[in-house]
Amino acid sequence: MKKVVDVSIPLGPVHPCWKEPARVKCETRGEKVLAAEVELGYMKKGIERIMKGRPWQEVLFLAERVCGICSVIHNMVFIEGMEAVSGIAVPDRAAYLRVIVNELDRIQSHLLANFSFCYTIEHETLAMYLLNTRERAMDCLERITGARVNKAFMIPGGVRFDLRDNDRAALLTDLDWIQNEVDRYTRMFDTGPLIATRTKGVGILTQEQARIARAVGPTARASGIAEDVRLAHPTYRKLNFAPLVRMEGDNHARIMLRFGEIFQSIGLIHRCLSDLPEGPIRGGGTCGAGETVSRGEAPRGELSYFILSDEYGRIVDIAIRTPSIMNIDACTHFMLPGVTSLADVTSVFVSADPCIACNER
Amino acid sequence: MRSVFWYLREFLRVPWIHAFLFAKTAPLLTPPYFREYPSLTDVECTHCFSCRMICPAPGAIEVLQEGGAWHPVIHRGHCLRCGLCVEACPEGVLSSGRILRWQEEDRTSFHATFHIAVDHTKCMRCGNCCVSCPVNKEQDPQMASGGHSSNDEVIMKIAGGKHTVIHEDRCVGCRTCEGACPNSAIQVARILEGLQGVAEG
Repeated sequence: MKKVVDVSIPLGPVHPCWKEPARVKCETRGEKVLAAEVELGYMKKGIERIMKGRPWQEVLFLAERVCGICSVIHNMVFIEGMEAVSGIAVPDRAAYLRVIVNELDRIQSHLLANFSFCYTIEHETLAMYLLNTRERAMDCLERITGARVNKAFMIPGGVRFDLRDNDRAALLTDLDWIQNEVDRYTRMFDTGPLIATRTKGVGILTQEQARIARAVGPTARASGIAEDVRLAHPTYRKLNFAPLVRMEGDNHARIMLRFGEIFQSIGLIHRCLSDLPEGPIRGGGTCGAGETVSRGEAPRGELSYFILSDEYGRIVDIAIRTPSIMNIDACTHFMLPGVTSLADVTSVFVSADPCIACNER
Repeated sequence: MRSVFWYLREFLRVPWIHAFLFAKTAPLLTPPYFREYPSLTDVECTHCFSCRMICPAPGAIEVLQEGGAWHPVIHRGHCLRCGLCVEACPEGVLSSGRILRWQEEDRTSFHATFHIAVDHTKCMRCGNCCVSCPVNKEQDPQMASGGHSSNDEVIMKIAGGKHTVIHEDRCVGCRTCEGACPNSAIQVARILEGLQGVAEG
């Protein structure tokens, strides 16, 4: 039989470019990648099993710890699921505060994803600039919620803390600063000739391929699919949210789309702050029995929780589906095959922003 | 030659030389709004066990009696710094970041009700739960090791060879019984509700 594959090259699970362990096995002929396979399962934690039999005040913290980068959306989707199960209404002010914290979390997550990409293509200067900007977003979150990573901000029927006037002023100052900085870095990224050689036309995911692989989030939106779960969220509807879409489907489009979404998030926070109604932040209400599927748009795409609870509000069964698994699939089957240089394998994999901790929870 | 001039012009500036000689990173300070590990205020603890009831981390908080005075003890390796105990404490014994002050300003609180569920197929009537219960101990200090009692004011006791819950309303949700049960037969469901503008109690 004719040998078509020269070398099978494994990358990872411990790789300097990746923040979390995963193994990408590439079948190559020369430098060209013919096929790829992603091997997961290096950090299974079994969080869903630990959640069973516990009330919301314990599951909330476990849900946050599914993913360290997008902890707010896990908190939000779980709590909205519990509210849907028990018929709890959220006060308007609390709903707006939730959106503010969620969008701040999206800003820091996208900045981290873009940092990670710039670091992978060895543009460390831009990477460090982005990481420095992310610190300011983390400070905003810390000022509102009291913690940087695991905020535990939302509870059934509202949020835990109100937004104070001086914190609001500081938030606006910080947002302006972030906007100026990210604007500069976006231009640097967009116009950099060396960055263009590593990003434009590399790792292309066409619209049909994205549909076949069920890609979600920025990966799908960079391939021309205008899908966003925020479109169905009542608070985002009030804010006239419309998703950003790019048509190219390459590395450059995915990173630029995330930069675009940072500006969009800043705009959403500004709109929330100007529309922020007065009133209570907690409406009360106890959790009860029921079964639901709750959805939300994580920074990486659609996140869904299947929740089954008993009459005392304890979790009987829970299943989490995180966005990264579909994006990893799209990456394995469509982005990586055809990549002409092995050096681009890492950058293509990172450009899909795979969150392994989310995936394996 | 031009580059030499450029370098001279760039680096022979007072701000640059000053920055070069006296470069110093700002000291790392914990900001006042950071939710630190809960610390004790001067308020006296009434050992209502609200903090134990709400704590999501196993083994993070205990309420102990030393020299006649009760006080909560935070185990730092277990604490998540979620700040729920600070919010749940009706007296304000604990403090963390700005939570206590904000709670007083916003009049936010948590209200909890409890349900004690015993799996009778697992329960072997040892009475450990009844003896370990701190509320039982106050109601009936003489409760025997088997969990038998002639007092009907206790939360639960072993009566007629069966675990009997009498006063579920007196439960404070501290989950001491869950820890004392050798068979994991007893579970206390804590139904928690976040409130605002309602008087505590």
